[in-house]
Amino acid sequence: MMWKEKYRVGAVLIDTQHQELFKRVSSFISIVQSPRLWDEKVEEVKETLAFMQEYVVIHFSDEERFQEEIGYPERERHRAIHSQFRGVIQNYVNRVAQEGYTQELMQELGGRLMTWLIMHVAGEDQKIGEFLRSQGGGHES
Amino acid sequence: MRAEYINAFYLATQDVFRIMLDLETNRSGLRVTEELVPFLEANVVIGVTGDLTGSLLYSFPKEMALEMVKIMSGMEMDELDAFVTSAMGELANIISGNALTRLSQQNYNCNIVPPQIMVGGGRSLSMATPQAIVLSLETAIGNFDITISLTDRS
Repeated sequence: MMWKEKYRVGAVLIDTQHQELFKRVSSFISIVQSPRLWDEKVEEVKETLAFMQEYVVIHFSDEERFQEEIGYPERERHRAIHSQFRGVIQNYVNRVAQEGYTQELMQELGGRLMTWLIMHVAGEDQKIGEFLRSQGGGHES
Repeated sequence: MRAEYINAFYLATQDVFRIMLDLETNRSGLRVTEELVPFLEANVVIGVTGDLTGSLLYSFPKEMALEMVKIMSGMEMDELDAFVTSAMGELANIISGNALTRLSQQNYNCNIVPPQIMVGGGRSLSMATPQAIVLSLETAIGNFDITISLTDRS
């Protein structure tokens, strides 16, 4: 289980989405790392990757909208961090187009995505929580 | 090489290990080396450009790298495959980025080159400086080294 309670930000929407995102990243990694022949699981790898990728896009955009709504002062910097990471993902999309869904490429993407996401949620996103608390508490939406 | 470089890497490592792995890191040694040689099994090399140029080498024992990725993923890991080494590369990338952010507050503006992974040690790497500093760190799950070879161009 990748999700830890300490990752909570204190806003229901963001925390729920983070949990879903961690769940999708986790199921992608579980399939990639499962001890089955690559050819037998590659279709499942593609499905879980698409499922996860779709949610990264939804979550980044919802989180950016949320930051606008609450007037989060660091929203531009945060948006730039998201945008930089979208670029990293796009780079993998381009590599998949050239190299195909190889085991090594999918493992590389999984390792990078997991680590980046944990640091982002446990580090950068916690500042949203700190801001909310400084404004008088958590957020219900 | 100045002490502030070393401290920036130490503090960044401490922060990242606390945030991501819930682990405390303590300095266990500091020594000078004339060679950049990865002695341990899981190694990440990161290039630095800008006001400071050179290389950073993060060297972890295999068992420690596997345990770190297990803490992050919640899954058992048994080999240094592309998933584990990629996670280690990103972790070293994050530590280096945070250290350079600290150094930018002292007016050193630098960038990092994407990590290069090396499994297994022994091969000597080229260095930007005649001497490098090896920062040895200990944690509850193992000990590791960060070798810092940076030259000041500012």
